Amino acid sequence: MGLAAEQEFEPIILALACNWCSYTGADLAGISRCQYPANVRIIRVMCSGMVHPNLVIDALTKGADGVVMCGCHPGDCHYQDGNLKAARRAEAITLMLQDFGIEEERFKLAWVSASEGPQFAKLMTEFTDQIKRLGPSPYKS
Amino acid sequence: MAARLAEEWFAICGGCEVTILDIGEPLLDLLEKVQIVHMPVLMDHKLYGQTGEKAEMEIPEAEVGLISGGIRSDEHKLLAQEMRRKCKTLIALGSCACYGGVPALANLCSTEELLTKVYRESVTTDRNGFPHEEIPALTDRVYAVSEVVKIDLMLPGCPTTPEMVAGALNALLEGRPFTLSTKSVCDECPTIREKKATSTLRRRLEGPTFTPGAPLNQMRCLMEQGFLCNGPATRSGCGGSEGTPRCIRAYMPCEGCFGPISEKANPMVDMMGALSTIGLDPKQIPDRAATFNRFSGAGRLRPAPKR
Repeated sequence: MGLAAEQEFEPIILALACNWCSYTGADLAGISRCQYPANVRIIRVMCSGMVHPNLVIDALTKGADGVVMCGCHPGDCHYQDGNLKAARRAEAITLMLQDFGIEEERFKLAWVSASEGPQFAKLMTEFTDQIKRLGPSPYKS
Repeated sequence: MAARLAEEWFAICGGCEVTILDIGEPLLDLLEKVQIVHMPVLMDHKLYGQTGEKAEMEIPEAEVGLISGGIRSDEHKLLAQEMRRKCKTLIALGSCACYGGVPALANLCSTEELLTKVYRESVTTDRNGFPHEEIPALTDRVYAVSEVVKIDLMLPGCPTTPEMVAGALNALLEGRPFTLSTKSVCDECPTIREKKATSTLRRRLEGPTFTPGAPLNQMRCLMEQGFLCNGPATRSGCGGSEGTPRCIRAYMPCEGCFGPISEKANPMVDMMGALSTIGLDPKQIPDRAATFNRFSGAGRLRPAPKR
């Protein structure tokens, strides 16, 4: 692997998007032809609150370089308070990342509403850049 | 004909070998059924022949092989491979062989850091170079035996229980199946659980509340009393036929020595869940990674990323 290969590091980024706001937001980004890196793999979940910390840890230890968890803005949750649960889980996830020897910057919780297509694209672009700067997940070597 | 038994020890304290002795009277019956052909802790059997005349190390063929201790050096690795070649059934004895055990806590730092600390930076040590002559090189981390060779049976525990060793060996000799429990320590713990902590996390020396002499099913769960207990993420079976886990019997919280409930389980995540479910704050635990993986560090613990 030469220098060229290193420069071409393309991270694998997992986006867990809630069905009601963020996934629709991602849809809108697509319909609006907003450009964002193809490194992002989106998985639709019914609610950001259902994302067990185990899933994020599993992703980061088994191949993903970064995970974004997207939910509705606080107060907008289709299930009243699912996104607040997600916020509490995000705190626990951050703690677990420390324990697992993974940089905290590899995980991000963000609020994206159904009307925020361009914001979704911007978020993904920024996060991908951040992960590119961090390099591959320590679990990849 | 008696079955031949070979035993080898790697990175271990020797406690699991004492457990074999602890089998007590049933050991006398067991010893009639086996013939020990190789066991460094017990008998003088040189790997390169008694006068060192052989060019390659050799362990005699055996029906049953026991390995205790994790793999820390190249020598351990070669010996484990030799044991695998010569033994029909290979058993990992104790948590060090199964999951790395306490020595695997060293996986939290790199081998370089480890050597520097031990041979250079420790205040009680004369600053010498690293030992390098006539000793096997260290591996990059502590490995469980199953990470290096195929293991047929695991007998976890620190130390493992005499009942389990005898049970497994007898089952093997009589051709019966032997399986480990797939439940957690909490499933076999008789204490009262109300799913709500009565205190924040406390230091163990504060001592739990219980009535001496009263049965354990009248005591409140130790975790709910605020004492960190690894029971929720630990395999049960330490209680043997009595059922009640060993440490709980002594009014102590579970240390987690039987290791994770399954190979794929992640004790760190499970314990964080268990703590927050009853309202305890995991942030209060200073060294979560080591606390939750005290006996299962091989393949689970790794140095913190460099910044």
